[in-house]
Amino acid sequence: MELYHTLYIALLALFSFLLLICLIRAVKGPQVADRLMAVNMMGTMVMVMISVLALLLNEGYLVDICLIYAMISFLAVVVLSKVYIGIYEERARQKNKEGGTSDDSH
Amino acid sequence: MTAIEWIRFLIGSLFILTGIVIFFTELFGVFHFKYVLNRMHAAAMGDTLGISACLIGLMIFSGFNFTTLKLFLIVVFLWFASPVSSHVLARLEVATNEKLTEYCEIYQDVNDLERELAEKSADETVEVVEDTKKREGSVS
Repeated sequence: MELYHTLYIALLALFSFLLLICLIRAVKGPQVADRLMAVNMMGTMVMVMISVLALLLNEGYLVDICLIYAMISFLAVVVLSKVYIGIYEERARQKNKEGGTSDDSH
Repeated sequence: MTAIEWIRFLIGSLFILTGIVIFFTELFGVFHFKYVLNRMHAAAMGDTLGISACLIGLMIFSGFNFTTLKLFLIVVFLWFASPVSSHVLARLEVATNEKLTEYCEIYQDVNDLERELAEKSADETVEVVEDTKKREGSVS
């Protein structure tokens, strides 16, 4: 129907605009956690866009893709933050080791 | 379109409008707060409430079929996943930020915090009692 079609197109345009604002946060964010949080928000908005697209094109399988997208974006946030904590601890340990030897040389 | 279809369209668009308002609130909060742990509060709102409102609207549009069930499954999955990802992000921030004490207070012992809160609430009750006494005095 024409009315639903117009509404879906308007929703897609609006959410692409919101996505752009999220991208600004991801570029600006001073901490790593800021950027990861912005990526998480973008994932949520893309999920809504995929669901709208599924109803617009009348293809049910796009909702399955949306579910898988949700799982992967959740996994990405968890894995990236765990990896970053690991890298940080590794660097701190190395710095401690170097600091100890440099103290001895001084 | 018949009257029932119009009503369905209006209810569905109302839900989607609620979701969009919540998404705008989320974005406003994310740019308004000054620190990650504050921003996270605003960001977690859209993950659960915003997407549930939008997808409930889409469910009403879609009618009674398997697509509706799958959309509901997405909402249920996000209810479980969003708090976990917020928690992991908060742990990342606390573990890697060396200047954490500049942004928030840290209590090494939980009992200290509880004692302080108890003192604060005791002070407030005393103030409230004094206020009511003053007000009663002014009235009489």
